[in-house]
Amino acid sequence: MNDLAAAAPAPGLATRLSESWLRSAPVRFLFILGQLGLLTIIIRQFQIESSAFLRIALLVFAGYAVHSVVPIAYRLPFFVLLSLGGIVLVMGLQTGAVLIAVGLALITICHLPLSIRTRVVVLLVVGGGLAIARAGTFEVPWSAALWPILASMFMFRLIVYMYDLKHDKAPTSLWRTLAYFFLLPNVCFPLFPVVDFKTFRRTYYDKQAFQIHQVGVNWMVRGITHLLLYRIFYQYAALAPSEVVTAGDLVQYLVVNFLLYLRVSGQFHVIVGMLHLFGFNLPETNRRYFLASSFTDHWRRINIYWKDFMMKVFYYPAYFKLRKLGETKAIILATLFAFGVTWFLHSYQWFWLRGSFPVAWQDGVFWTILAILVIATLLYEMKYGRKRVLSASTWTSRSFAVRTIKTLSVFVVIIVLWSLWNAESWEGWLTLWTPLEALVAQGGQLAPLVLFVAVVGNASGAGLGTTSLLGERARAVASTLIVLVFLTLVGLPQFYTKLGPEAASFILSIKSNRLSRNDRAALQRGYYEDLMRVNRFNSQLWEVYMNKPLHWLDVQDAGLVRFTADFAQSELAPSLISADSFSTITTNRWGMRDKDYEREPAPDSYRMALLGASATMGWGVEDGETYEALVEEALNRDLGDHGGYARYEILNLGVPGYYPLQQAVAVEKALSFKPRVVLYEATGQELSRATYYLAEVNRKGVAIPYPELRALAERAGLEPGMSEDEAQKRLMPFQREILGWLYAYLVNRIRAEGALAVWFFLPQIYSGSWEETVDPAKQLAEENGFTTIDLRGVYTGRNEEELRLVEWDKHPNALGHRLLAQALYREIRAEENRFGLRP
Amino acid sequence: MEIQEIQSAVKDYILKEFLPGENPDALSQSTPLITGGILDSLATLKLVSFLENTYGIIFEAHEVDAEHLDTLAAIANWVLERKSAP
Repeated sequence: MNDLAAAAPAPGLATRLSESWLRSAPVRFLFILGQLGLLTIIIRQFQIESSAFLRIALLVFAGYAVHSVVPIAYRLPFFVLLSLGGIVLVMGLQTGAVLIAVGLALITICHLPLSIRTRVVVLLVVGGGLAIARAGTFEVPWSAALWPILASMFMFRLIVYMYDLKHDKAPTSLWRTLAYFFLLPNVCFPLFPVVDFKTFRRTYYDKQAFQIHQVGVNWMVRGITHLLLYRIFYQYAALAPSEVVTAGDLVQYLVVNFLLYLRVSGQFHVIVGMLHLFGFNLPETNRRYFLASSFTDHWRRINIYWKDFMMKVFYYPAYFKLRKLGETKAIILATLFAFGVTWFLHSYQWFWLRGSFPVAWQDGVFWTILAILVIATLLYEMKYGRKRVLSASTWTSRSFAVRTIKTLSVFVVIIVLWSLWNAESWEGWLTLWTPLEALVAQGGQLAPLVLFVAVVGNASGAGLGTTSLLGERARAVASTLIVLVFLTLVGLPQFYTKLGPEAASFILSIKSNRLSRNDRAALQRGYYEDLMRVNRFNSQLWEVYMNKPLHWLDVQDAGLVRFTADFAQSELAPSLISADSFSTITTNRWGMRDKDYEREPAPDSYRMALLGASATMGWGVEDGETYEALVEEALNRDLGDHGGYARYEILNLGVPGYYPLQQAVAVEKALSFKPRVVLYEATGQELSRATYYLAEVNRKGVAIPYPELRALAERAGLEPGMSEDEAQKRLMPFQREILGWLYAYLVNRIRAEGALAVWFFLPQIYSGSWEETVDPAKQLAEENGFTTIDLRGVYTGRNEEELRLVEWDKHPNALGHRLLAQALYREIRAEENRFGLRP
Repeated sequence: MEIQEIQSAVKDYILKEFLPGENPDALSQSTPLITGGILDSLATLKLVSFLENTYGIIFEAHEVDAEHLDTLAAIANWVLERKSAP
């Protein structure tokens, strides 16, 4: 036999020295505090998660310092007070007080002097009332930000708590109950592990304090590492389904899509690590889930707390009720029940976090298939057993090879299932597999790399290749210290700027928590569409959406936008006044968000027409606050009766949600008002947005009234009803041609009416990948005859927070519009002669 | 019935059923069986079945947890407690 394992390590000299050095309590305390200090610096430098999390991290740092000197009998009350303080610190006094009050009310119900059954009924009634409020059926006198946090504290823990109240005879203390529900990190993590109450109670300072605290630091560092790795994959490697063209793209998409779970595993490690600092020696939340060697193994590893919750409250009770049917039947039915409950509770969770109850075929298919795979594995294990080990594994070449193949196979099935779970549509998922044939053909080339990764992964999981120089604990501490020092250094500008421009740009890019290019595009689409995708837990986008009110600036429900049976598909409704929480929007008789104008311009007037989308229309700002209105006002103020025309008019034809190709229809409306200048607003991603719209109209079967565009679609191989993802893939090589056609069409139409065609670029208020696409679009505009104005740099010196409407809506606010107006006005005045601003 | 007898019987069962070929000395009375990942749900239910059949006790669902079944010591204590309960 070929023994591949290292011998079980004896404590080395380094371990023994470190343990003797760290025997002194003050030294241990300072050692932990020092690591926490570095961790807090890293959290700040890399903007880990949110500003709320940084506040909590600072609170944890200070709280740990005090907690460590508090007598043990008072540590639990201290932790409770710290947790309540954290709630107020993050949510503010008013919202925090409401959250605590509602939480206390729910806890009180659990302890009413009534039977358990009655208390459950009361909880259900109260919960039902809260659910109705959550669904937005009536207004509540508190901030919407309260819901996700209140829900994540109580929606599952109440179930566990009531279960333990019913079955566990051990008395519980008020402080322990309060600590359990108002867990300190929970206030900034809506996705939270389902901490078991019995485990919570049982493991409180059940080992030496220093050991528990150090494990906490280790796990927090591991969690931060996961979060940074997640950021790298999310920003640089995540692909949209429409970008999957080659076999390599398919592999990248599948693997990275699954690896985005690092966000959840990272957050959970940080959360449980933080709790360790206050004596809660809770178990780990997941364990190398990418190395699962069977589907049951995957289920056991990926979210251990969820698995334990299911087992305790649903699986075992179901099994015991069903076991009279026989062991096998009971296991199958109990497993199906547990997965059915998992499916329901996932949607239940999203209801509380998001306010709507998603019923998606993707969830049903995913959980059903996973249940079948787990049951099949269970039946196999019942018949043939499963290898278990007590001590460090003794691997043979054969057993290692078998395990590697199993791990690889499970991984492949899981990432395929994961891609289905995250698919927007069935057709969209199917289009992913277009390169499957190429993948199979190239399998021989990819196999060595894949096997190498699988072997290395499995070896590290088995602890092979590790030395006996350090014991396991000392090794964990050493890794923690190395990572802490490394990340602290790397996060310092004084350090990373010396690594060269590329390395520095890369580090700078992962120091911020911004949305990826794909999620920004989805956010923009999501202004106008109810995106399913934002319910998928591995998207950073849903956290932005979490705080978004359900009917945020709802243009369709307000009747602001109406359907048209032409290529543009929509337009603003005429003669409308619509008021929402942010602004009043008034449209004139022509369906423009503007004051009224005559069709024919007066002889002594100067008229421009402005084609654009939501920013131009003035999404979220008042009538009169749009940049168009401000420029018009400035022209009239500075030029009217000062050697200029008697009146200057800018007709605002901006329509929210318009893509570039829709302006081919809008330009006809603009030209019917006989403007001297037609301004075309271009935003980031002009090329891809033009392509996207063509894919959309193709899917919907909307007639394309432009022969050249129709011919282009045919050349690209579009078929009627084809999914948008597939259509976009086919159109991608024609992006320049599509946008070039549009620009040429607009310029020709505008010039034919004797007007000047002006392309002006309206930047986003945030920096991002859209910046890369501006120059190609601008060049295309100039090649096709536009006069161009570039407003990049208009927001220099300002930060996103002062320019955006709200966190989930990055349209420019009133300040943003003022800055745009000043810049555009300057540019127009600088080209006074070309624009013909004076008679 | 002595607690050591129960521990010994349970230990033999676990070694034979779930850990064939393992060194018996590696399974002590405090080795974490459930929290240590040695016994999964299937194995735990088999163990429960063994305890019920061997000692004539009846488990309830909420008793299948780490508190009662995580170590040989915990198992033996629980069995004795159930047997002596009215």
